[in-house]
Amino acid sequence: MLKKIPKWNLVLLATLIAEIVIFGLINPRFWNINILLNSFNDFVGIAIIAFFVTFVIITGGIDISGGSIIGLTSVVTGLLAQVVGMNIWSAALIAVLVGGLCGLLNGLLIAYTKVQAMVITLGGMLLYSGIALVLVGISGASTYEGISGFSEGFINLANGKLFGIPHSVLVFVVMLLIAYILLHRTRYGRYIYLTGINQNAGEYSGIDTRKIMASTYVLSGLSAGIAGVILTSYLGSSRADFGAEYLMPILTAVVLGGTLITGGKGGVIGTALASIIVGFLKLGLQMGGVQTQYIGLATGFLLIISVALMGGQEVKASIKRLLTIKKDRGGSLNA
Amino acid sequence: MKEVKNMSKLTTITKYREFRTILFLVILFLIVGLVNSDFLSSGNLYNATKNSLLYIVMAIGMTFVLLTGEIDISIGSVLGLSAAVSGVILRDGGSIFLAVIAAIGIGVVVGLINGFGVTKLKISSFIMTLGMLEIVRVTQVIFTNGQWVENLPSSFKHISQMSVLGINLLALIVLVIMIFVHLFLLNSKKGRYFAAIGDNVDGAVLVGIPVARFKIMAFVINSVCASIAGLIFASQVGFISTTAGSGIEMTVIAAAVLGGVSLSGGIGSILGASIGAIIMSSINSALVFLKVPAFWNSAISGSLLIIIVVVDTLISRRNSKRTKKERLNARILNYQEEVRS
Repeated sequence: MLKKIPKWNLVLLATLIAEIVIFGLINPRFWNINILLNSFNDFVGIAIIAFFVTFVIITGGIDISGGSIIGLTSVVTGLLAQVVGMNIWSAALIAVLVGGLCGLLNGLLIAYTKVQAMVITLGGMLLYSGIALVLVGISGASTYEGISGFSEGFINLANGKLFGIPHSVLVFVVMLLIAYILLHRTRYGRYIYLTGINQNAGEYSGIDTRKIMASTYVLSGLSAGIAGVILTSYLGSSRADFGAEYLMPILTAVVLGGTLITGGKGGVIGTALASIIVGFLKLGLQMGGVQTQYIGLATGFLLIISVALMGGQEVKASIKRLLTIKKDRGGSLNA
Repeated sequence: MKEVKNMSKLTTITKYREFRTILFLVILFLIVGLVNSDFLSSGNLYNATKNSLLYIVMAIGMTFVLLTGEIDISIGSVLGLSAAVSGVILRDGGSIFLAVIAAIGIGVVVGLINGFGVTKLKISSFIMTLGMLEIVRVTQVIFTNGQWVENLPSSFKHISQMSVLGINLLALIVLVIMIFVHLFLLNSKKGRYFAAIGDNVDGAVLVGIPVARFKIMAFVINSVCASIAGLIFASQVGFISTTAGSGIEMTVIAAAVLGGVSLSGGIGSILGASIGAIIMSSINSALVFLKVPAFWNSAISGSLLIIIVVVDTLISRRNSKRTKKERLNARILNYQEEVRS
């Protein structure tokens, strides 16, 4: 099984290269490295959340509340900094922690009451975006314009450059490293896989699988908090509806990255490659003259087709399983 | 004999779940009514049923899909597309009959694509319908060229205002259909298949239920319900924006879950889902009557969903644990008697 993961990553890498070549042929400006690096700004939030939603999905759960946690943390940052008058950096830190708290609530409810993850995070999605709206409503800030007027230093967090590399690329790489090391190089990461493959086996080998499950949601919430802060810095204002349409791209990145939606299999590298593919696809289509509102068609088809292609192995496996069951039939069933 | 006993036990459990939802709805109306008695006026109740029609129709369809253990989040876009297409037909002077046929056709096509992807290509239903959500929405934007559909004929808009014996005509039709579908799912053989598939797929296959066909059927029914909801939307609102119905899928799923439909399949009823839909849509107007600002709506419905589902699960878990213990005790007693004899 481990052999298969790099194979899919190779397919993704080839797709990425093909994409760059094709879009470059359509519009040579696409080959400008600065444009490519700057485009990271547009999907770094999606990518960061997708890294840690990968964790959640590997344990067999799902987290659809990430988008609304972005809105909530954005509002919290703006309110603490501009209305309460707190130092912007401590405001941002508190906002990230609020994201973690949202994740903790999700995780505790899912792991310890065993309600389906979909239901809890659906409720969480309504709840967190609702809290964001309430906060905006109570503070009396305008819903449409949002809270703006952040300091230069904070705006620079997402818009600045270090040695000519945009900060968003650095954030992308750092978060990818953290996620990669956590998932692929630590015992905790192995526990996550085991929880997804067979929770009972995990329990019997002495792992507190519930704690592992809950912790993945906390990580996902924290990452959504970071994404919210970065998005606030990038756009220079905080609004409750930031990230409202992130659900689809996040899950596209995770699933296209080769992570099984049923859990137990997947990886962060694939998610990273997939999120770059989706991001560049949008950029390339825009540069090719396709209107923004039509791009959803491409990502929608990409999602379905990639899952259908990956399903090819699944179908083969299920046929094999069916055949082996038939062989055993008779003796073992009657026993 | 044993089976009959189990069946009656099952129906009492489902009744129990619905009873809880109804109780909650009544309490909600009573509390809001106590604070502001205008809430219980006939005019407001009339409006409340009218507003919840859309959600009830979609919740009925969603129950079919959820019962089979799948999920469908593409319905918001289906609502938008069918509303836009039938709206354009009506605006350009087409007959209402043609518009209805077009809407239902859209529902059937989207449902077939969803069902085919889930059953034949083995794509997880959440991912499949998430992709379709986007694709259908863009199709609507392409079809309307990014414009709003306005100037619907007043004869069409009038349909949603018609009433028979003081009850909204559409509400009456939906109510009758709801009762029929509820009885169909509960009592007929084919209706029970949907829940059987969601309860135990392998078992359903072994019993000889055409699982794939029924799953596709569930998706088609759901999409058709969504497209009918699109017609109701067009008639009630009178214009169709490019984002019409976006995000409604989550409200509908939440409504179904509130009404006791399980996302893992096999449990739930149309009646429960419809009551959930009424709860979700009346939270909005209840807030208005409680003089709470409208921005609380989403936070309240989200926390209600979480609290109700968690409490419900804990209660039912405790019940099932108790019955398991009783069953185990009975089995041990039986065994001891057998050994003695």
